[in-house]
Order: sequence, then C-alpha cells, then structure tokens
Amino acid sequence: MSSQPNVAAVAPLIKPRSSFGRVALVTTSKYGTLIAMAVMILIFGLSAGNAFLSVNNLLAILNQSALTAIIASGLTLVLVVGEMDLSIGYAASLAGVLVTGLMAKQGLPAFIAILITLAVGAGIGTVNGLLVTKARVNAVVATLGVGTVLIGLAFGYTAGSPIVQVPREFTNITLSRFAGVQDPIWFMLIVLAILWVVLNRTPLGQRMQAVGANRNAARLAGIRADRSKIAAFVIAGVAAALTGILLASLLGSGTVSAADGYLLDSFAAVFLGAATLRDGEFHIVGTLIGVLVVNIGFNGLSLVGTPTFWQYVFKGGILVFAVAMSTVARRYSKA
Amino acid sequence: MTPTMNAQQGPPTPPASFLNVSNVQKSFGGVAALTSVSFEIRAGVVHGLVGANGAGKSTIIRCLAGIEHPDAGTISVDGEEVEIATPADATRLGLAFIHQEMSLIPGWDVLRNMSLGMPHATRVGIIDWRPARKRAKEVAARLGMVFPLSTNVDTLSTADQWLVLIGRALMQDARLIAMDEPTASLSVSEARRVHSIIRELAASGTAVVFVSHRLDEVSDLCEDITVFKDGEVVKRVVSDRTSKADLVRAIVGRDLVIPDRGRQPSAHGRPVLEVKEVSDTHLLRDVSLTVHAGEIVGLGGLVGAGRTELARVIYGAARASSGTVRLDGENVRFREPRDAVDAGIGFVPEERRAEGVFLDRTIDFNVNLARLDSLTPSRFWPYLNLKKGRKRAQDAADLVTVKATDVSALVGSLSGGNQQKVVIARWMVEQPKLLILDEPSRGVDVGARAEVYRVIRELAARGTAILAISSDNEELVTLCDRVHVMAEGRFVGELVGPEITEDSIVSLSFARHVEKEHAL
Repeated sequence: MSSQPNVAAVAPLIKPRSSFGRVALVTTSKYGTLIAMAVMILIFGLSAGNAFLSVNNLLAILNQSALTAIIASGLTLVLVVGEMDLSIGYAASLAGVLVTGLMAKQGLPAFIAILITLAVGAGIGTVNGLLVTKARVNAVVATLGVGTVLIGLAFGYTAGSPIVQVPREFTNITLSRFAGVQDPIWFMLIVLAILWVVLNRTPLGQRMQAVGANRNAARLAGIRADRSKIAAFVIAGVAAALTGILLASLLGSGTVSAADGYLLDSFAAVFLGAATLRDGEFHIVGTLIGVLVVNIGFNGLSLVGTPTFWQYVFKGGILVFAVAMSTVARRYSKA
Repeated sequence: MTPTMNAQQGPPTPPASFLNVSNVQKSFGGVAALTSVSFEIRAGVVHGLVGANGAGKSTIIRCLAGIEHPDAGTISVDGEEVEIATPADATRLGLAFIHQEMSLIPGWDVLRNMSLGMPHATRVGIIDWRPARKRAKEVAARLGMVFPLSTNVDTLSTADQWLVLIGRALMQDARLIAMDEPTASLSVSEARRVHSIIRELAASGTAVVFVSHRLDEVSDLCEDITVFKDGEVVKRVVSDRTSKADLVRAIVGRDLVIPDRGRQPSAHGRPVLEVKEVSDTHLLRDVSLTVHAGEIVGLGGLVGAGRTELARVIYGAARASSGTVRLDGENVRFREPRDAVDAGIGFVPEERRAEGVFLDRTIDFNVNLARLDSLTPSRFWPYLNLKKGRKRAQDAADLVTVKATDVSALVGSLSGGNQQKVVIARWMVEQPKLLILDEPSRGVDVGARAEVYRVIRELAARGTAILAISSDNEELVTLCDRVHVMAEGRFVGELVGPEITEDSIVSLSFARHVEKEHAL
C-alpha cells in the first residue's frame, strides 16, 4: 500500500525453512482431497484421453454420483449434530420396495406413492431421533436396531420377491434429461443446494452446528438441542427415502436390500468430505467432493481396464489415506 | 554461584537458585509474546507469576514445560544451561506442571492416577504395583492425604483432586511444581488448605511456581513475585512483601479505579424474579429470593452451597421438586433453557470454555446464537440475513467492548476476558429482563474485570435485573446492591448496601457450620 515498492515489506513473509513446510502442510490438510481429485483427472485424462474427458463421460460420473450424494448429504447433517445413522441404507431399500409396492399392489398413482414413501422416511428419522435424544440410546445401537427392523419390514412387505410392475411414468422420472443433463443430476443439485442452505443459512443449521460443536453450551445458549438432533435424523431419513425412490425408478423395480450398499458409500464420502476445505468439519460441499472423488476413481479405473477388485482397494485406500493425511497435516501445521 | 543474601542467623543457608530464565524471547507469527524475559526461581520458595491474560505468563510456563521453544535466550537448572525440547525433558529435569484443567483420569483410583506416566515395575509383563504403592504411601503421608489410595478420584473434592495431582508430581521427584490458577474453582476453606500444602511443599525444599489472578492470595503466599505485562517483566519482588495495590498498578500499568456503586439500593423498580421456597431432590431446601428491575443481587457462599443449582433451576436447566418461580409476577416453570430465554432470561455459565463459548466458531456465531430467529424474514422463510447478523453482533460486541479486529474472528483466538465478554454480548442482542451470571470474572484479568463490571452495571441501569453468583467475595462487594449468602442448599443471610463486606460474607458462609457444631 505504501508508496515505496520495497522488498523489505515482503521479506518477512518468506521466512526461512519452516514457513514453506507450514504452507505445504496447511494446503495438504485442507486441499488434499481436491489435489487427489485433480491428480486423478490428470492421470485418467492422459491415459484414457477422450473416453474419460468427454462431456458424456463426465455427465456419466455425475449421474453415478447422484444417488450417493443425496443420501450422503442427509447423513452429513446427522454427523454435524454429532450423531450417527446406520439405518439410512436400509431405509433407502425399504423406500424402494414401498414406493413400487404402493403403485403395483395398492394401485396408487406415482405421485401419491412417492409422497407417502418420503413421509415414511421422515417417520424413520423421527423414530431414530427420539430413540437417540429422548430414550438416550447410543446412536449406533439405535439406528442399527431400527435399520434391522426395516430389513424385516421390507421382506415382509414384498414376501421376498422383487416388485416389477412399475408404471412408465415412475421410471421416466430418472430416464429423461433436462437441458441435456440427466434428471438424477438435477435431483442431486437441488437436494445439495437445499441442504447447503439449511446448514449454512438457516437458524436450524446454525443450531445444528452449535449442538454438534458443544451440546451443553448450545443448550445453555437457549437451543433446543434435542429438536435439532431429531431434525437432522428426519432430514437424513427423507434423503434416504428419496435415494431409494430414485434407485427404484432407475432399476424399474423394487428389490429388498437394493440400496443397502449406500450406507458404506455415504459414510466414506462424508468422511472424505470432512477432510476437505475445513478442519475435520462435516459439510455439504465436502460430501459432494467425497462422492465425486470415489466415482471419478471408479470410472477412470474401469476405463483404463483395471480389474474390478482394484476399484474397491482404491475406494478403501483413498478414504483411509485422505483422512489420515489431512489429520496428520493438520496436527503438524498447528504444532 | 548462589547469590548470597544478607547474612541471616535463622535459616542456615539462604534458598539456592534452582532455575534461571535469562533473556528468553518468543514470538508467534511475528507478534512478540515474550520480549527478553529474565527471572530466577529459588528452591524452597513460592514464586508468584502474575499479569493480565496474554501478558506472557503462560508462554513462559509452556517454554519451561517443553511445549513451546524459546526463539532466543537460555534456561538453566542448577546453574547449567539446559534445552527443554519435549515435556519428557522437563520431567527429567524435575519440573512438574499442574494445569488449569484437571488432568486426572476419571474413574481411576488415587494410586493409578498418581503413578500415571511413571515407568512401572513389571514381572513377566504384568505390573507389580508394590513399589508404586510404597512410593505413593510416602508421598501421601508427606502431603497429609486423609483418603486411602484406593479412593476413586471422582468422589474426591476439588482440593483433594489437586492434592492427587501434586502427589503425582512428587512421585516423579519434582523439584519444581508450577500451578496454574490452583484455587480458581475452590471455596475459601479449600483454598486455605491448598495454601498450607503449598507452604509445606516449599518448606521441604520444592520450588513452587504459582500462577494466579487472585492477587490477595499471591501477595499473601508468595515470597518472590514476577509481574508480566505485554511480554515483559515489569516488576520483580524478591523476598519481600508487596501490597495488592502495587501489584495491580504493575499489571495494569496505571492506578485502577473501579467505580463505586453509584446508586442507592432502595431505588429499584418492580420485582422481576421472585423465587419462593424452591427445593430440589438433593441440595436446595426452601430457597426464596427476589430480584428487582435494575438491581444487582449477589449470591455468595462456599462452592457446593447450591448457588449454581439454584441458578440452573431458575434458568430451566435443572428441575425443582417444589416451590415456585415467578417472572414479572407470573408463575413460570421452564422445561428447558430455551423457554427461559424466550421469557427474557439470559445466563452466563460458570465454565466458560465448556459451557459458554464455541471456541472454534466466530464471534458473530457465538453472539447471535440465542436470537437466530429474528435474523430471518419469517418463520416460513427461515433464510438468515448474515449481514444483519454481523452488524448486530458487532453492535453487541462494541457495547461490551470486546477487543477483536472483526466479529469474524474465532473466539478461541481471544483472551479469557474477551471470551467472557462475548458470552455477555450474546444477551445484549435483546436486553434481557433478568441476567444470571455464574462467576462472571473467573479467569478474567484485572483490567478486563473492571470492564465486565461496568457492562453489568450499565445493563442494570437500563432496567435489567441481575443475579450474580461469585466465590470471589471482593467481587460481590464491588458489584452488588444486595447479597444473599447460601450454605448447604439454604439461605443463611442477606446483606444490603454497606453491610456487604468480605468479612460479613465469609462469616455468614461459615455460620451454618458453627451452628451445627453448637448443636452437636
């Protein structure tokens, strides 16, 4: 700012040795996941060329990521309030058979069936939330128990066989494109945008963050901690139900345990995301990046012809590696 | 080697210099925390380190503990220059540190806590407790522990827990024990016990470094005192007595004028809070109390007298089993703190870091938290106006003179006094009918303390009823129009205006004990 363009003013910034290392560590702790993503895009772009970098393939990656991102963003809020939800995968599976069954067995129109299923998702979240806050059951135990009950309910409702008579209007939900982009991607963007706003721009989201940071302090600051937690579980339940509905629409059928695998995928994404941009905090943008990193890796590895088993090694490996890197880097950058 | 004092006849040898700090400098990110600090700690002497928060006391302690490393300068032990690179080095040199937060393992017994960090004797890999127990017994006898080594530390009083920590230091042959605010959460009688333990420790040759904001205590207990201000040593007292006023002058750099109560206690408005015969299931018995608009009422007494419990009942954070609470003449029964907040009550909790502030969050997040809904257009369009929030937080922070560049600063980066002001600012966003403050100036340095008092007075002058709990009797005298003293869950007396003195509060606090002894 001063009139003298002097070197001396700049000199202290380039401090000897420690400074560069510190910057590198801070960068790693915050941007490690993003750097990993960039490196992968570079490598796959070079080795698989247009097959990887084409608009179609990039859209395919987003499409692949859409359902995981939706369920994982719901889970993000539960982790923000400092709890766990292990029932989301099973809730999504139940939603899949329920929405198809309501149409095929009960003959309800798609719109009504979807609304009922979303409401059931909210109900599951409410039960989880009440168990955790009012009955004070440990969240891992409560949601694992609820999830197991949901598996049973799904089996009971379908008698074990998939529901396949699904109206075309239901499968069309995920088949069409808007502005050249597949519908699931739009659903993902809308859900993520809404949940980002909820978390960062509403009183509810601020309260959730406060409750997660320090429940006792939040309570004494006049926050109904239990309500914030229940709200997070309800949102996670609805997001899970939406994922189940979209999956059923994509598959054209309702199958028991079709969506169970989303549980682990979304946990991986959320924790990868927490190691991104912020210091170990769960946040929506991070979760999206977490989902994308895994799916870019999957997509690229299969394009370059890597055997499938490597993709799982990659998925587990990058999760552990990224989280460890950011934790270690954060520790040293503070020390 | 040892600087010889005047030839005394009583003690044969003058206390030897144990640890020397000379010209130590330390800066963080270009900001100097210590600028050439030198002082000497003598064996067998209690050495007080005082200064405002951020003056450099904790930095020098952290350097001695091996947590930070000085940029320049030397530290020598027994005349030999040493490098303290890690906490283990410090332990090896016989330096032990007892920090503000209790570092006991909850649920473990005294013996296991005392032998924590010591190498264990083992037989085929299995711990042989006998040597540790023998050593612990010696230490326990030296410290006069009255509880068995098998006691669960959770069941001990705070003073006894301190004793266990000191015991741990002695188990490791500590020659210097540094204590950070050891008496901050202790009652008067417990603090007295800690003092006598410290005196005995010093008498047996251990050097004690005593960091405290309680200046009475420091001038009473410490033979040597080093005063820090802005990273420098501004006053050194060696083997001498000093008055509290002198210490304050050195710490603040000027004479501190704490304005007197300017108002008459009679000039109060309507009763805002009326508590009638409130009891809870374990401690409170038929407690009654009234606070008027614009009045500052203090709650004095010993720690454990039930003052915090009463505050929590009023605020809806705990339940009463009987009795009534009236706010502005209406019966209220809050199910949780939010109900109390909605009714116009604010609460500044005792444990600031654990219950008051969110250290990893910004000032505006902390300030706005209790009144988020008024930052949105409507309940049905709950979109926060962040700009308005920042402005509102800035106004509230300015009102209580929070010193920070911007409300987007993290609260964890502020000094204790400023953190406390942030908690108070939370309740300035909308003026509360009643503000309850539990230990308003704990861990707040002298200068900031006067500002906190000023803020509380201004709030009262604008009509808020204030209920202030304090174990610092001087604070009650300075601040309050009226003081209720509690003991063992009951009210034992009320003091008004000029009756409020430190002596009268102390004697009321102990009145019940005396009564009981007579009854026996």
